[in-house]
Amino acid sequence: MHAVRNLRLCTKDCVCLFICPTGATNTETGQIDFDKCLDGCRLCVDACPSGAIYLVSSTYPKPQTTEDAVAERLFALANSKAAQEDLARSIAHGSDDPALRQICKVVEMSSRIIAEDLWRESGYIIAQSDAAEQLVEAMLAEYGAEEGFPVEAVQAFLNGRR
Amino acid sequence: MDADVRQMTWTELAAVCTNLEKACTKQLRGEEATTFAKLASFYESRREPQADAKIEELVALIDADLAEGYPSANEAAQAAEDRGSKRALLWGEKATKLLKSLLVRYEKQGAKLTEETGVFVCEICGFVYVGSAPPEVCPICKVPAFKIHPVRKEAI
Repeated sequence: MHAVRNLRLCTKDCVCLFICPTGATNTETGQIDFDKCLDGCRLCVDACPSGAIYLVSSTYPKPQTTEDAVAERLFALANSKAAQEDLARSIAHGSDDPALRQICKVVEMSSRIIAEDLWRESGYIIAQSDAAEQLVEAMLAEYGAEEGFPVEAVQAFLNGRR
Repeated sequence: MDADVRQMTWTELAAVCTNLEKACTKQLRGEEATTFAKLASFYESRREPQADAKIEELVALIDADLAEGYPSANEAAQAAEDRGSKRALLWGEKATKLLKSLLVRYEKQGAKLTEETGVFVCEICGFVYVGSAPPEVCPICKVPAFKIHPVRKEAI
């Protein structure tokens, strides 16, 4: 568990520099040096007057389960949102009107964001969930042999889980 | 209940991957975020635009979500007392209504709709806003305005 600085909130009072026992908070990038940061120490988190430092966990609990009857309907909506994104993309592709293409871009972006949220609530909220892990395994099995599939990265991800 | 990869469209597969990419980014796991971004790009690159796609088809899909998809999902989430799903459905349904309104207004007004004004999308919930500047806080998900982004017209 290491500390992270939210640069949008940091008011540069430098109390974290005063209190950090390893100098991890003092870097040229403005971000904390995660390698120097002591696991779970949190001295800087508690000392920061603007509440700009938080801890990022290295382990996560399994997410809450979603009932099948709910998941089924969330999947159906996610499928519809994907179809809407595809249609908007197709309409834009077939048009040279900048205003229509702008509207289509909005529909594509918004539909994707809504779909991602539906996936999140149906068991795919974090990559550490069983559902996400099984999905990646199935993707490798189904598409791993196809050109352009990031086989090495996906295998590295799955190996990191075992 | 798990999704079946073989029955998912390219865009569905891409959307699960971009969602997991975002989750990894928030956990500051850059390498894993990159892996999911690569997977999403792989699936997106498979997509072929459909010829003669029409706005009416898009509006029909949105209408079906509002008439059946959301009410049915809301009912199931209510019965299961699943507040997380209810939250996602509430936000998604509101954003969907705004998408419908955007398309209906575009069909009536054409290019005039955005001639002298901007269009914005909230990166958290998909809220859509037509106007000169986005609200300070997203009316759907309450995120601050720095997460509500302009979508500009591209020169062709």
